[in-house]
Amino acid sequence: MGPGFDLYTAGTSWLHRLDPRTKMTFVGASFVLLLLTGQIILVLAYLVVVHAVLRRAGIPWRRIGWLWARMWPLTLLILILWPLSNPGGEPVLVQWWWIRITLPGIGQGLLAGLRVNGLAFAVYVLLLTTDQSGLVQGLVGIGLPFEWGLALAIGLRYLPLLLGMYGTITDAQRARGWTPEEEGLVRRARAYGPTLVALVIGALRLTDGLTLALAARGFRPGQPRTTRRPLQLRWADRVCLAGIGVLTLALVAAEWIYL
Amino acid sequence: MAECAIELEKCSYTYDGQVRALRNVSCTIEAGSWVALVGQNGSGKSTLAKLCNGLLRPQEGRVRINGADIRDRPVGSVAREVGYLFQNPDHQIFAPTVREEIAFGLRNLGFPGEEREQRLRSTLEAFDLTAYADRPPAVLGFGLRRQVTVASLFACGSPILILDEATQGLDWQRSQGLLDRLQERQDVGHTILFITHDMRLVAERANRVMVLHQGELLAEGPVRKILSRPHLLARASVSPPPVTHLSQLLRPWGMKGDSLTVEDFYLEYVALLAEREGV
Amino acid sequence: MAPFVVLDDVHVSYPSPGPGLEAPRILRGVSLSVAEGECLALLGPTGAGKSTLCLCLNGLIPHLVDGTFRGGVHIAGHSTREWTPGELSQTVGLVFQDAESQFVSMTVEDEVAFGLESLGLPPDEIEGRLAEALEVMEVGGLRSRSPLELSGGQKQRVALAAVMAMRPRVLVLDEPTTNLDPVGKAALLRAVSRLRVAWGTTIVWVTQDVDWVPHLADRVAVLWEGQIALEGGLREVFDQGALLRRMGLRVPQVRELAARFGSTGLGGYAWLGVDEAAEALRGRLGG
Repeated sequence: MGPGFDLYTAGTSWLHRLDPRTKMTFVGASFVLLLLTGQIILVLAYLVVVHAVLRRAGIPWRRIGWLWARMWPLTLLILILWPLSNPGGEPVLVQWWWIRITLPGIGQGLLAGLRVNGLAFAVYVLLLTTDQSGLVQGLVGIGLPFEWGLALAIGLRYLPLLLGMYGTITDAQRARGWTPEEEGLVRRARAYGPTLVALVIGALRLTDGLTLALAARGFRPGQPRTTRRPLQLRWADRVCLAGIGVLTLALVAAEWIYL
Repeated sequence: MAECAIELEKCSYTYDGQVRALRNVSCTIEAGSWVALVGQNGSGKSTLAKLCNGLLRPQEGRVRINGADIRDRPVGSVAREVGYLFQNPDHQIFAPTVREEIAFGLRNLGFPGEEREQRLRSTLEAFDLTAYADRPPAVLGFGLRRQVTVASLFACGSPILILDEATQGLDWQRSQGLLDRLQERQDVGHTILFITHDMRLVAERANRVMVLHQGELLAEGPVRKILSRPHLLARASVSPPPVTHLSQLLRPWGMKGDSLTVEDFYLEYVALLAEREGV
Repeated sequence: MAPFVVLDDVHVSYPSPGPGLEAPRILRGVSLSVAEGECLALLGPTGAGKSTLCLCLNGLIPHLVDGTFRGGVHIAGHSTREWTPGELSQTVGLVFQDAESQFVSMTVEDEVAFGLESLGLPPDEIEGRLAEALEVMEVGGLRSRSPLELSGGQKQRVALAAVMAMRPRVLVLDEPTTNLDPVGKAALLRAVSRLRVAWGTTIVWVTQDVDWVPHLADRVAVLWEGQIALEGGLREVFDQGALLRRMGLRVPQVRELAARFGSTGLGGYAWLGVDEAAEALRGRLGG
């Protein structure tokens, strides 16, 4: 079993070294921009810039390609469904029975598809270059209680474990003569019930053990704690934050004037 | 030549196209034998075992069960011939009662109502579980949970049994109880493939040993022959039981170096002593 | 030596698992003491209450686990009842059987630092203790690896490092070798020996691996049906082979062999290790 849902790609680049709070600000600003703008060209430009940034930070193309591959099904779905469900505007390209596809519909679909990827990559910039402890500290740094950060971290840590457990449980049932291949959809769906029961029991056992293990290591909710590597806004962080601020303001203003 | 229960022919398996777990492994397991599968963690033991019931399909090579290739058969149908016990009992316990838990496999394998009930009853009895029949298995202690999973496996009566670390976490007495049950199965001609780190158990119960190391079958043969080869075992990071080790230390003084049990060692030593002292 | 860990008539029952089912009485009057710096091996059949005893030792019972608790547990003269959570984790460290499911971090160093951060230690001190613990457990080279990618033996050593970094005076090991192969076992026990040398830690070691017990333990206690049924030196306890077997346990195999020789009057041996046995037997063959 690999590291699973941990997107973090180890490195020591400038982007890795930035304070997680700076990167979180970047994610926030990106969301504002991407959701506000109606310009395909702007979203495209955003994606190009983000890719350049990731490459500068030493994230291999393979990793980036893998992320695109994960996003591709959703993107395709949007590209197909958006024009179908938004048949307004001119010119009409296809008109057949109830299907009506227009050029603005396709444009809007394209915008939505790119926008989803833009949003995803904004988050990827954070997740690809911030390790778990940085992420938790960042969340605490922007005002979340530590327990929330820890819960998120443990969640990420446990997802692959639970997925593995799910696989083993279904294997164990198949090894006892369960043949989902030969059953209908309904019966098969019903047979997954027991699998989930076993999974929940397993998860409860894990949680029980974890509660004890955390307590044995001195963890108590709400208790003050220190951190090995305290967060620090460095010079580079200040420059980035200023840059993000100015750019966001400028683009929001431009968008506002343009409208 | 006895019939062949499990036959692997040049099997290789790679996880996710990256981690090579088994490399070109060929072996045959005769019907009615008790084979111990030993090796370090990560040497490919579980992978090999899972090839034998179709949970994993080799990327190269063939797997035959009772002479027939299982390539095109779903795992659930192979289960008729091959029963498989998972390492962690919690991965296979899910029914609301012990009774239901044991009935799960019987129902899947299509035993008719009458026979199912009868098998269920006799299994509960044989495993001392009648008192727990209507309890939820998940709240029982570890020893009993393991007992329930073994009972579920035995109820189905598959003639080939694969057990992955079945005695792990059990005390000596419970282990012996489980092993005695297996012995009974072997006595009626069933085949047993047993994964374990417990070399005392291997020496006392198995007929043959397969030693895996980094995905390759390092050696296969009768227990006595394999356990008396310290260098081979060391290569696979396996250590023989203390009495075997002891008899090897006494090789220069005339011991054969292949004692498997306390009794084995004792008899050989006493004979040697008598010879020396001329008694 | 003055007893350092003292259990005095400890009783524990858990809440009933369901309506109509009786509350399981796990410990029924356990009295036991361990001297400072000593290593006590705790044997007992499955379900005897060994894990519950471990939770009593580090104060999670009665502080965190539901159930009723009677009697007293004293470590260095202090009752666990009066402990604060911080004292609890700094006095007694507990390593569980399944290290993997208790990791919370994505890297080995963060995992080991977690407890130290919970204690509120300054970063410098965290760094120092982290480095020391990783070194003694010989996992320094794994610092930035994910604990999930490690071998079973390495995982247990990381778990041990995480506990030892908190400098507990007592270490409780709850069947730490059960999931390990012989290589992992040997490496873990070597690590435990090293930490005894480095920190003089008092150890309570729950195990089923009797053949390994003589490698580390000074004394043995046997928990049976919620009570200490046997306690004493290794030779003394393993002398009771028949009694142990009735309790579902076995003795080290060479000790079994010694008993076999004794049964026919061929010698009154009490070997615990293979080398010891080899020397005696070699002598008789005229070597």
